[in-house]
Amino acid sequence: MRRCLESPARRWGSALRGPAAVVTAAALTLGASGCAAMPGGGRVTSVKAQERSEQADESYVRLIPVAPRDNWSPQDIVSGFLAASASFDDDHRVAKEYLANPNGWRPGPRPSIAVFADRPNPTLTPGTNDDQATISLEGIQLGIITPDGQYTAFQKKVRVDYQLTRNAQHQWRISALPDALGQTMLLNKSDVEQVFRTFNLYYFAPDKQTLVPNGVFLPLVNREDLPKRLVQAVISGPTSWLRGAVWSAFPRGTKLNGLSLDKDVATVDLSKEAANGDVNQMSAQLAWSLGPLSEIKQWRLRIEGRGVVTPDGKSDVQTFGDWQANSPDGITVDGHRAYTIGAAGHLSTLGLNNFIPMPVVTNAPGRMIRPAVSPAQHEAAGLSPDGKQLLLIDDITTNGVPHVLRTAKDPEGRFTPPCWDRQGTLWTVETSPGKSMLWKREPGKPLKPVWHWGLDGREIYALQVARDGVRVAVVAKIDGRKQVQLGRIAGSGDRIDAGSFVPVSSELAETDDLSWRDYNTLAVLGRKTLDTQVLPYLMPVDGSAVTSLGVGSLGEPVSIAAVSGGPVLIGTKGSSQRLVCHQSAFRDRDSEWACSVAGSDPTYAF
Amino acid sequence: MTQPAPAAPVAPPAAAPAPAGRVRRVVWWPVRRWLGRGQRIARRVASAAYARWRRSIQVRVVTSTLFISAIVVAILGFFLMQQITTALMDGKTKAALAQLDEGLGSLQRDVGVSNDSGDRLRSAANGLKSRSGPSGLYEVYVRDTTQVYIDGYATNELRAQSVPQRLRDELRSGTTGTRAYTYGKLSYTGHRPSERGLIVAGKTSHYEVYYLFALSQEQHTLTIVSRSLAGVGIVLVLLLAAIASLVTRQVVIPVRLAAQGAQRLAAGRLEERMRVRGEDDLARLARSFNDMAANLQEKIRELEDLSQVQRQFVSDVSHELRTPLTTIRIAADMLYEHRDTFDDPAVGRSAELLQSQLERFESLLADLLEISRHDAGAATLDAESLDMRDLVLRTVGDVQGLAERKGSKVVLQLPGEPCMAEVDRRRVERILRNLLVNAVEHGEGEDIVVSVAADRDAVAVTVRDHGVGLKPGEGQMVFDRFWRADPARARTTGGTGLGLSISKEDAQLHGGWLQAWGEPSQGSQFRLSLPRTAGAELRGSPLPLVPPGAGGSRPLFAELEAGD
Repeated sequence: MRRCLESPARRWGSALRGPAAVVTAAALTLGASGCAAMPGGGRVTSVKAQERSEQADESYVRLIPVAPRDNWSPQDIVSGFLAASASFDDDHRVAKEYLANPNGWRPGPRPSIAVFADRPNPTLTPGTNDDQATISLEGIQLGIITPDGQYTAFQKKVRVDYQLTRNAQHQWRISALPDALGQTMLLNKSDVEQVFRTFNLYYFAPDKQTLVPNGVFLPLVNREDLPKRLVQAVISGPTSWLRGAVWSAFPRGTKLNGLSLDKDVATVDLSKEAANGDVNQMSAQLAWSLGPLSEIKQWRLRIEGRGVVTPDGKSDVQTFGDWQANSPDGITVDGHRAYTIGAAGHLSTLGLNNFIPMPVVTNAPGRMIRPAVSPAQHEAAGLSPDGKQLLLIDDITTNGVPHVLRTAKDPEGRFTPPCWDRQGTLWTVETSPGKSMLWKREPGKPLKPVWHWGLDGREIYALQVARDGVRVAVVAKIDGRKQVQLGRIAGSGDRIDAGSFVPVSSELAETDDLSWRDYNTLAVLGRKTLDTQVLPYLMPVDGSAVTSLGVGSLGEPVSIAAVSGGPVLIGTKGSSQRLVCHQSAFRDRDSEWACSVAGSDPTYAF
Repeated sequence: MTQPAPAAPVAPPAAAPAPAGRVRRVVWWPVRRWLGRGQRIARRVASAAYARWRRSIQVRVVTSTLFISAIVVAILGFFLMQQITTALMDGKTKAALAQLDEGLGSLQRDVGVSNDSGDRLRSAANGLKSRSGPSGLYEVYVRDTTQVYIDGYATNELRAQSVPQRLRDELRSGTTGTRAYTYGKLSYTGHRPSERGLIVAGKTSHYEVYYLFALSQEQHTLTIVSRSLAGVGIVLVLLLAAIASLVTRQVVIPVRLAAQGAQRLAAGRLEERMRVRGEDDLARLARSFNDMAANLQEKIRELEDLSQVQRQFVSDVSHELRTPLTTIRIAADMLYEHRDTFDDPAVGRSAELLQSQLERFESLLADLLEISRHDAGAATLDAESLDMRDLVLRTVGDVQGLAERKGSKVVLQLPGEPCMAEVDRRRVERILRNLLVNAVEHGEGEDIVVSVAADRDAVAVTVRDHGVGLKPGEGQMVFDRFWRADPARARTTGGTGLGLSISKEDAQLHGGWLQAWGEPSQGSQFRLSLPRTAGAELRGSPLPLVPPGAGGSRPLFAELEAGD
């Protein structure tokens, strides 16, 4: 009895030990399920922006072809073949099904392409019997893409014939491709736009220091293979456009053994021929060419599987930043120097912080317009106010007087605004309607015409040599339109060839002036087809879309000067005075124009 | 042990090495050895585990808790995962269908119903795709059903085979506005591995649009969830097992203490008690146990006291009877000497009777004293090293006369060498005499064979007669006090009825055995086995209990070992 009365709590405790655990577990479960609710509040978390989005990272669309169906007519077979040609999957596996002899046609990953405006309609030519048929196509060919990726435009009307036979299953198949095309593939314009992308490959300018971009068309068959294709393209050398003008560090016969990607570190393995090449220069070329691929952040170079340590002590793993010294834009040591013609007609420096012109040459005001200052900032070239005389100040630091280098021969002749290249060579075009001539003046030498000038039958309005010294952008009158063309300067010594001009963009109806913003972009003053006003635009040289620059009123823009990493300066002609305009915040492409500086003809001296 | 020994989990036997090739044997040999060792270890571990399992409630409870809770948690986890997967897929499907509606709308806006729609369809596909942003949430496959030469347009690396034929058929047979979805495997060109995906499809007048959502993100989520669930489950199961272990421990420890106490009690330590702690059921158990132990102790003590009193009484009575008996003996002796002088021959006859019964009474009294000495533990062994053959010869000599009177002949089978043993001469002679007299009395005049043998540890003497023998069960009863083979037989013949009891006590005092074998009409044999050294433990006997040649199919014997 006494036992039963004694401390009932303790008895309870021991009896409840098991159930207590269950209750605790249930409570924990309930608590945990409470935690599973989505947060309805909390502090603000800032998130870093996603990866940069390059053109190569955009999604793309692939055509899915159909295999030839039973009992298709010869026309169907040719149409199906043309459609299937646009599908590069699995080495044109489906397109080959249309051929009687699939192995006779090897387009490979980089075939040559005949670009047609439309997909032509096949017509059956007479003389067809039960086993043989000939199908002819007629269409307008816009141009061709060579296997090295160079697009060359020449429009012509083309007629090609396809031979067809019946195979063992009594189905029509293409037995012979047109002789006129050979292995060239026939695609229409939209197919090409869908399959091909432009990429810049980089090669060295003759100074073997500055890289020159070489835009090529590469089929974007599979995004994963792209790095490999790019490296193969770089190794295989520049396109015909730049051949002779640039130099590749990869020795002849070098091949890509393999490219593997581990997270964001790519390993490029070259064949043994590469051992003779300069590792630094090869690395620089690869680095710049692979730059646009966001999946590769770092990479290492190997030759026959062995690691290559770059001689100047860089580690095995390279980043793209390691090769900024080889930038096509060159390197600027102490910022950019801008010059302008001040309100009083003096050549002045223009501070880029306060935008106040400070005269440097006080002699003979108003005698020189459109100045250009040499990279060493000793010499300054310019034009006389009527443009018929090329002037030069030998030394601006000692307040020199401009003297005439050359006067235009033709009564209607004039000079384009002169420009200097990195080596201190002065370039200008003497032009008159329907005629032009390129002049160059190497440092300390007299002015000479170049050996070959590709646009000698055109009137030229502006010429600017790119900072790599190889490419040259001009505004030329072609087909009655002032359009931007891109050429290259090849050769050396007396045999300079400035030619191979190709149009850059057809988006602008007229272009007045241009300047290199960076290696891939021109800053141009131009007019779109339906516009009446001339406005500044940024025009990428790889053919992508032209974008407008800045907002707000500008007056009447006359000249433009641009530099990589600096503000674009525009000289305008108002009703009362001439002003130099700059963007209020130049890093923002859409910021407003501020026209406060009295002056004209702004220019950058590198 | 009622259960058979556990069968150890047997590792698959190592394949016998091919006889060809020494190299193979060299390679196989250590492997086999290792396998063998592993097998042994496994067997040992298994049997140890099984022993623990059998012996410990705690282990059993914890193991079954582990097992049952693991099953429950696994089932719960499975259903939970099913629920989560369903919820996840429902959400994904809903979002995908919304995306599809939006895409179909924009496709109709962009493309409309124009005839030459190839390029526009392509750009529309791109537009649909780019709306998902750069993360690659989904791929799009657009088909224009009016196009003959082009199957459709796919975004990025998607292969057309990713759209299952069943979904295509569903759309083809459906009307405009049909929506359908299914799950499938998304495959890609190049090296990108295929993955599972949700494919939703819709149809407008001309177009079929397929949205293919890769489910890798969902798979990732599910993997994380299932991993955490598994982790939580394991922790929960272990926790339950730990709780079970703790709870059982609280029960098992007092039970173990009780078991120990009971063992000690059984071993005779009657003062053993359990510790009483607290007020719970276990404390009650301890208390009851203690009460029981106390009662037992009391009863056992009472019984011991009683038996002590009885023994004392027998001893006292024997002593007390001796004194008057001596007087009676003197008187009886005198009467007996003068029996011839009585006139009445009947008186002389009575004196003779008195004399013989007095002798019998005396020997009875002596036996009683002897046995009470044994009972009181007062018997001591006066051991000396003797040759058993001498003892046997002397005893046989004593009994020779009796045997001849009965017509029996005693045949001796003695070994050539001496059979030395440390024995108490008086007691061994008494045993032998008892056995011989018994044999002669029940020998029916047949031969009596006495054999002696010795080995390293023991000596043995057997006495074989060919009399009536023993009935089944009598082999043990012959050693009971006052037991007679034939109750009807006159008490005048034979001994006191205590002889064999005393003999057995004597043999046990030596650490030896006294055993009997007998079969009806086959005679009987008694065997005395003694250790050569006094007090040493006897392991076996040099002579068989059942005589060779005798004994039917069912020998009856009593193995009553000394000290049992």
